Amino acid sequence: MKNITIAKRIGTVVLGLTLAAGLPLNALTVKADAESAGNFRTLDEIKESGTINIGVFSDKSPFGYVDEYGEYQGYDVYFAERIGQDLGVEINYVSTEAASRIEYLETGKVDIILANFTVTEERAEVVDFALPYMNVALGIVSPEDAVIESLDQIGEDDEVIVISGTTAETYLEKNNPEIRLQKYDAYAEAKTAFENGYGAAWANDNTEVIAFAIENEGYVVGIPSLGSQDTIAPAVTKGNESLLNWLNEEIEALGGENFFHQDYEATLLDTYGKDYEDTLVVEGGKVGA
Amino acid sequence: MDLEIMKSYLPLYRDALLLTLKIGWQGVLLAFLTGLLCAVVLHLRVPLLRGIVQIYIELFRNTPLLVQLFFLYFALPKIGLRLSPGLCGSLGLGLIGGAYMTETIRSGLESIPVIQSESAASLGMNPLQAFRYVILPQAAASSVPGLIANVIFLLKETSVFSTISLMDLMFTAKDLIGMYARTTECLTLLVIFYLIMLLPVSFLGSLVERRMRYAEFGD
Repeated sequence: MKNITIAKRIGTVVLGLTLAAGLPLNALTVKADAESAGNFRTLDEIKESGTINIGVFSDKSPFGYVDEYGEYQGYDVYFAERIGQDLGVEINYVSTEAASRIEYLETGKVDIILANFTVTEERAEVVDFALPYMNVALGIVSPEDAVIESLDQIGEDDEVIVISGTTAETYLEKNNPEIRLQKYDAYAEAKTAFENGYGAAWANDNTEVIAFAIENEGYVVGIPSLGSQDTIAPAVTKGNESLLNWLNEEIEALGGENFFHQDYEATLLDTYGKDYEDTLVVEGGKVGA
Repeated sequence: MDLEIMKSYLPLYRDALLLTLKIGWQGVLLAFLTGLLCAVVLHLRVPLLRGIVQIYIELFRNTPLLVQLFFLYFALPKIGLRLSPGLCGSLGLGLIGGAYMTETIRSGLESIPVIQSESAASLGMNPLQAFRYVILPQAAASSVPGLIANVIFLLKETSVFSTISLMDLMFTAKDLIGMYARTTECLTLLVIFYLIMLLPVSFLGSLVERRMRYAEFGD
């Protein structure tokens, strides 16, 4: 009886060791495969499969959101629809959070990120950006009874709400490390927290905070433009040249028909009015044209 | 993997670990006290209170912690009650944990044969004395494995705290990945720090368990 138990134990130990030794080896082979093949699908592979995976926001109205009928809508989505049409493939929308946009490209979960992705140096090191289709700067919104018009007004005990993985977060971490940040995962949560009175102000893309102040009474965008003027562009997995080139040609070609102005009028006009059209829209990939 | 970068992230992970531990243990303590109280109510079949405890257990065991945190943090302010993120975290853990602890302790109490209470009564003990000196010590011994499992479960549940803006381990890793895209380094550190937090609990757990078995069987 005792012998059987001992034999069993030895068996378990041997099995455990084999597994432990085997696992890292397997992991290595998988990794090597992924690297040699590249973690993305080329233009031809996408066309062949008949579907393109596009990462968009589902909670950032009016740029990428899900409407009351469960359909994706917004400025980014309008462009995505056109990409699908011109490629002749179905679109599979993948809902993404700000912080997971790079991840989704690196792991090949999506072919293109069209989630209001601001072009920055750090991001350009890990993903490839196509030509821009929108302008953006940072902005800070605060309640009208305690408006914050300059960063000096933010007290030591005040917290500024930011969304993890956004340019607003990176900018404040880098340039104003003394400001205490209150970080959230997703737009919807940051917005609700701000409405509930957590945080003295909310820093985000100025498009977003302007829209928030227009839609919600009692809030003012005290700082409408902070930091440098940036652009927003589609991004693909690093090294996916065929798809990147196609996107660039597409954006240039769409300039000929003033596509992004139509896009603005269809999706953003209700929120921002005519005044912001030329400030926000980048046509044909040419900034300031 | 870039070790220099990992080193530069260490202070952030350390802060996150301390925060996770602080809120985690407050939650565990609250959960244990709630659980003990509720289990006693169930065991002694206190009228009325027993019903309330039953509803509490079903409500909190059958909803995810994430939903409870949403409720505490985003819904309560609408009726004028604004709690700090830290308090919401401890309270959330304490409430969900309390429901689990109750069931664990209750099953421990129930595992003691009725004859023990009867014998205690025949020795002239009142129900409270019987509970305190005869039932509880034995029940505690058989509840320990379950309680330790609950503690580990609760400490792991802290990973949903990002919803309420608490920089726990999980959120710190996600946040750094979002900013600097060092995925492998950040995730490796994340696993290491979770192990730093939970392995000692596991070891301590088996140690206590062995001691308690000793108390139970005496050899």
